[in-house]
Amino acid sequence: MRRGDIARLNELLREPMRIFVREARARIALLVNASGQVLAQHGFAGRYHVMNVAALAAATNASAHALAEITGAGRWQYMHHAGRRWQLFLAPFVTPAETLILVTIFDEHSTLGLVELFFQKLAAQVRALPEFGEALPAVSAASFEQELEAGLDRVFAPDQPGGG
Amino acid sequence: MSDVVASTLDRLSHVPGVRSALIVDAEAGVPVASELGTGASGTAVAALTASLFRRTDQAVRDAALGGLGSFQLETEEGHVVVAGRRELIVVVIADRDAQLGLIRLEIDRAVEALQ
Repeated sequence: MRRGDIARLNELLREPMRIFVREARARIALLVNASGQVLAQHGFAGRYHVMNVAALAAATNASAHALAEITGAGRWQYMHHAGRRWQLFLAPFVTPAETLILVTIFDEHSTLGLVELFFQKLAAQVRALPEFGEALPAVSAASFEQELEAGLDRVFAPDQPGGG
Repeated sequence: MSDVVASTLDRLSHVPGVRSALIVDAEAGVPVASELGTGASGTAVAALTASLFRRTDQAVRDAALGGLGSFQLETEEGHVVVAGRRELIVVVIADRDAQLGLIRLEIDRAVEALQ
């Protein structure tokens, strides 16, 4: 769980996310940590949707991680759902600081291969940031909700970095 | 890997001058099977060539030229030849001095075999 550096992270992640969306031709993208705290987003119209997707992404990651451990399948890599028009890609990547999760939605202008390719490049860019190079200190449960809100406030603030 | 895919890939990769050969799912942009030379990333090549093939196919259709059969890229060190008809496309990366006629012949055979 991040603390006071959320604004700085939003700023740092803005460009890597912009490049990912452009190169992968994604429609919507969201980067959260394993607690569901929003670090960057592109394409969402409102904070309500972001909050829901962030929570579901964190829950999906936790479930998939647990399932992979129970079945001895090792670390899970990504989840892909191909709908008739829209496709969903959800994948975690590990940094020394914390696990991050990318959720992205794309259509016929992209492919699973492109999204996966540029997801790997995004992960490499984020891992190279000094802010993700060291383990984070623990945060008390009391501040959890406040910190969760901080990410949303930041990415939806007018003209603020981190927004899409 | 099916016998057809395996034998197709084997023939392609044994043509003189061929560095890498891939059979790619055009819709997903992921490799179905590949024989890769040193330094080639199968996932990257598959994703990017599938994207290029789909976009070029759309462009030629918009130009009322029918569907795309194949295209060829010339690079500083060699050639990339991409061909396909439906859900599978064939990608060959070859040296600059490779026998392109022979490569194209084998690619045409591969596309036929994979239909």
